[in-house]
Amino acid sequence: MSSLTASQTRLDRRPRRSRPAIASHLFLLLLMAAFLAPVVWTLVSAFKPANDIISNPLGFNPSAFTFENYRQMFADVPIGSGFLNTAVVLVFKGTITLLFAPLAGYAFAKYDFRFKSLLFGTVMVTLTLPIIVLIIPMLLEMKELGWINTYQALILPGSIDAFAIFWMRQVISSVPDELLDAARVDGCGEFGIYWRVVLPVIRPGIAGLAVLTVMNVYNDFVWPVVATTATNRQTLQVVLSTLAQNITGNKIGADYAHVTGELLAASSIALVPLLIIFIVLQKHFISGLLAGSVKG
Amino acid sequence: MTVTTTTPVSRTAPHASQRGPRWSLVRRKAAPYVFILPFLAIFAAFTIYPLVFTFRLSFTSWHGEGAARWIGWDNYTYLLSNPDFWASLATSGILWLLIVPVQVGVGLIAAVLLNSAKLKARGFYRTAFIVPFVTPLVAIAQVWIVVFDQNYGAVNSFLHLFGLPDIGWLTTTTWSKPTLALLFLWKTTGFAIIILLSGLQSIDTSLYEAASLDGASRIRQLWSITVPLIRRTIMFLVVLQTLAVFQMFAEPYVVTKGGPYGSTTTAGLYLYNHISVADLGTGAANSFLLVVILMTLSLFFVRLLRARD
Repeated sequence: MSSLTASQTRLDRRPRRSRPAIASHLFLLLLMAAFLAPVVWTLVSAFKPANDIISNPLGFNPSAFTFENYRQMFADVPIGSGFLNTAVVLVFKGTITLLFAPLAGYAFAKYDFRFKSLLFGTVMVTLTLPIIVLIIPMLLEMKELGWINTYQALILPGSIDAFAIFWMRQVISSVPDELLDAARVDGCGEFGIYWRVVLPVIRPGIAGLAVLTVMNVYNDFVWPVVATTATNRQTLQVVLSTLAQNITGNKIGADYAHVTGELLAASSIALVPLLIIFIVLQKHFISGLLAGSVKG
Repeated sequence: MTVTTTTPVSRTAPHASQRGPRWSLVRRKAAPYVFILPFLAIFAAFTIYPLVFTFRLSFTSWHGEGAARWIGWDNYTYLLSNPDFWASLATSGILWLLIVPVQVGVGLIAAVLLNSAKLKARGFYRTAFIVPFVTPLVAIAQVWIVVFDQNYGAVNSFLHLFGLPDIGWLTTTTWSKPTLALLFLWKTTGFAIIILLSGLQSIDTSLYEAASLDGASRIRQLWSITVPLIRRTIMFLVVLQTLAVFQMFAEPYVVTKGGPYGSTTTAGLYLYNHISVADLGTGAANSFLLVVILMTLSLFFVRLLRARD
């Protein structure tokens, strides 16, 4: 702003604009503070002595900086295997989703076939299903298959869910039909059209699906809780949730500060990977999310 | 889309399939089935089959062992006459009221501000707003327990700075729902802003210039131009969040366990409670009642949209 000359400033009619601009920034800054505060508080408090976290939750004394909460947490919580299991599920489930959901979305968006509307209607209805609805029969199915505490139980169910199909159909619908017909005229096969014409165009939409998949898998909780009883197959979120049970359960009292410290250390360590991925990829991330949503 | 034969063109096309146009038509007919096959297999095995199973289960009394006993509509009549069932719906309804209007309102204002080309540091704000969306729910739900603790929590410490009294955020029935709503709002409003932003980006900016020349205020423009033009996007968001709020489970499960005094037993958690005591038939019936309610609500919102068109 300071580089503008006086005449330019006048042409800009700056005085009329400045008050709303200040109000805008004030609103956005307040919102940002509210959004960031819990994350910042968690990351900072994890390095405080456990007793300080509860006796002085707002302050931070740099000289009391400590790794004690982390040391305790690593001793008590199998967080390493939690990360490993989450990573395994992420790679396989992510691959299945990204390979097959766009393909099915393409069929729904650009072809006419028998039972198409019935099938797509079923997909839309399952969007309204609470995941808990399917838990009992899925659990019985897993027992039947002998899949309890296995990776395939964590990977296959929901690897292409209704939302992914809906999302990809949404994205592919915006690809003009002329583009596909032109490729057909050039003698391109049906899969070739998908692979060479459609896929390159919908890359932002695929990125959006990738983002949502990574987040869903990383954060998934309900299904992993019931599908894994052995700690060596539990994902990060399941491992984490047992800590909360210590707090709300019987450890209240003398151990409260101690468990709180561990919990904040564990939460910080769970927060950081996605934050890093997000900050590195934030441009693609947001444009990917923008690509799939419904336009006015 | 109509299927047309491309006989004259494909004969002259250099890369045309050697087996001729008839073959390419066959392939084109078969292609969609091949494309949806992997999805269909997974969908059938892990969604449709369990769904049918649950539906059958909802007419039986079954506790996980032995044979299920067919009891007809008993589970449904039991639930519909049970005050706890209605209380769980009411809890979700109140959470909906605390969440959805606030989210749409705040999200819309933030999205409109972020969409303005004149605003400095737009990218910076956008990045910051999406941070809660990328945090793992269980981790942040646990932080909620700590931050909103009545005696040791950071929120009450903050209130003390202004001389305000302690509040039992998670221990009183007055505050437990708003505190839970706050967690949900915190986690998903960034996503709502992005969705609304995508709607705003499709609006022709010349409309605003014309309105400005006519002397319409910013608020007037928001109400008379922006909202009508992106009402589809808004409705999409409302439907999505309605489903999410009524299905809400992990948040109350981790933070409050449904308490105090059942005040945060959401429809989703109430359903889970049947399952956790192995009352599987009732749980299944509860699922289907919830599905019917959610479909009705979704259709209601879609109709509302159509009526305005």
